Amino acid sequence: MISVEGLHKSFGELEVLRGVHTRVERGEKVVVIGPSGGGKSTFLRCLNLLEIPTSGAVLFDGIDITARNCNKPAIRRRMGMTFQHFNLFPHLTVMENMTLAPKKLGLMGKAEAAQEARELLERVGLPDKANEYPGRLSGGQKQRIAIVRSLMMKPEVMLFDEPTSSLDPEMVGEVLEVMKRLALQGMTMIVVTHEIGFAREVGDRVLFMDEGRILEEGPPDQIFSDPRQPRTRDFLNKVL
Amino acid sequence: MPLFYDTLGALSFMERLERNFITADRWRLLLDGLGTTLQVSFMAVILGIVLGVLLAFMRLSKARPLSFLSGAYIDIIRGTPLVVQLMIFYFVLLGPTTKLDKAIIAAIAFGCNSGAYVAEIVRGGILSVDHGQEEAGLSLGLTRAMTMQYIVLPQAFKNILPSLGNELIVLIKETSILGYIGVVDLARAGEQIRARTLDAFLPLIAVAVVYYVLVKFLSFLLLRLERRLRESDQR
Repeated sequence: MISVEGLHKSFGELEVLRGVHTRVERGEKVVVIGPSGGGKSTFLRCLNLLEIPTSGAVLFDGIDITARNCNKPAIRRRMGMTFQHFNLFPHLTVMENMTLAPKKLGLMGKAEAAQEARELLERVGLPDKANEYPGRLSGGQKQRIAIVRSLMMKPEVMLFDEPTSSLDPEMVGEVLEVMKRLALQGMTMIVVTHEIGFAREVGDRVLFMDEGRILEEGPPDQIFSDPRQPRTRDFLNKVL
Repeated sequence: MPLFYDTLGALSFMERLERNFITADRWRLLLDGLGTTLQVSFMAVILGIVLGVLLAFMRLSKARPLSFLSGAYIDIIRGTPLVVQLMIFYFVLLGPTTKLDKAIIAAIAFGCNSGAYVAEIVRGGILSVDHGQEEAGLSLGLTRAMTMQYIVLPQAFKNILPSLGNELIVLIKETSILGYIGVVDLARAGEQIRARTLDAFLPLIAVAVVYYVLVKFLSFLLLRLERRLRESDQR
């Protein structure tokens, strides 16, 4: 579904990605781990073109989305993304946050969008927050809303950029729960996270990234219990 | 009947009020002057905002020439006195070459001046919105223009409303130099009364009070608008 070939990204002098190769199949759950500054987030952000790769290609369903003439909004509609800091729109209610994009892009009528939003809110246990502004929600609630806001676009793949890193510990569970259910429904997911438990439970494959490359990849059991690379072992010793 | 300074002292306050505002319908001068002040300010504000937004987008644009042009414009406007700009517009640029009314030329001059300040306010407002907001909009598949329109600008507007209101108030008061090109605005109307009655105190105080009430009223409206926009901030 997504095929990444020789991805490089530099910010000025700083080379953040130094040749990333991988493939993600439809329905697969890929978890990306690794030390900060290793390029995990940049890699994820290159997939939906929030960062434009310096060189290399990202093929999405066979389309090279790094081509100059690629319709970025059209590609991004097919990929949902949630962020470490949620990035809900503070001037809009939860309902408006969710219905803005489908309505403005002409994908849903007003009533249909509202109906869809209510169903999604129900599913993440927040049906009573529809008319609340984000400022009044807890971090965990915000992130759950951010996830269903992305789902409103009916994406084919979901990208999660450290979705629980800025949450208080007691709120991590509720967000991971929503993500687990999404995984069970067969969503293709690429998750950058430090939640090793989640990676073990949900991940089909784990990528260990450091210094702008994928140093090691494999099934969670192998990576976590029998890492081959010393650098992976070092990292896991520090976080486990 | 000629009136001299030393006879003023002999008049009672009521007589001075009458002489300054009632005799020869002098209050009408002030009222007409206020009308001119409001008209010129209104046109200038509209022009200033349109120009300011345009200049702000140019300044933030990745196209170097646009950004440079906008920067140079802002630099020149901010670096020269408004009164000189007004006179250049009237005596050099537009007066000799067009048949535009003085008040219109003045409105254009004030608008061009205000645009430079509004541009900096708007630019600051756009930059004040967290970059993540734009990214969230884009990641939902919205275009850049839609993200600007529905996500960044509404938040920027809320952030800059106090500064924008301040600029509006400054602009209204700055139109009191309209007399330099012979437009009879509120300030000049007060001057005319003073010249005829030779009484400085009452006309000037009257003019000051009218400006003050006008600004007070505007501040009140702005505060209400600000409060309405802040509804989403309740925590």
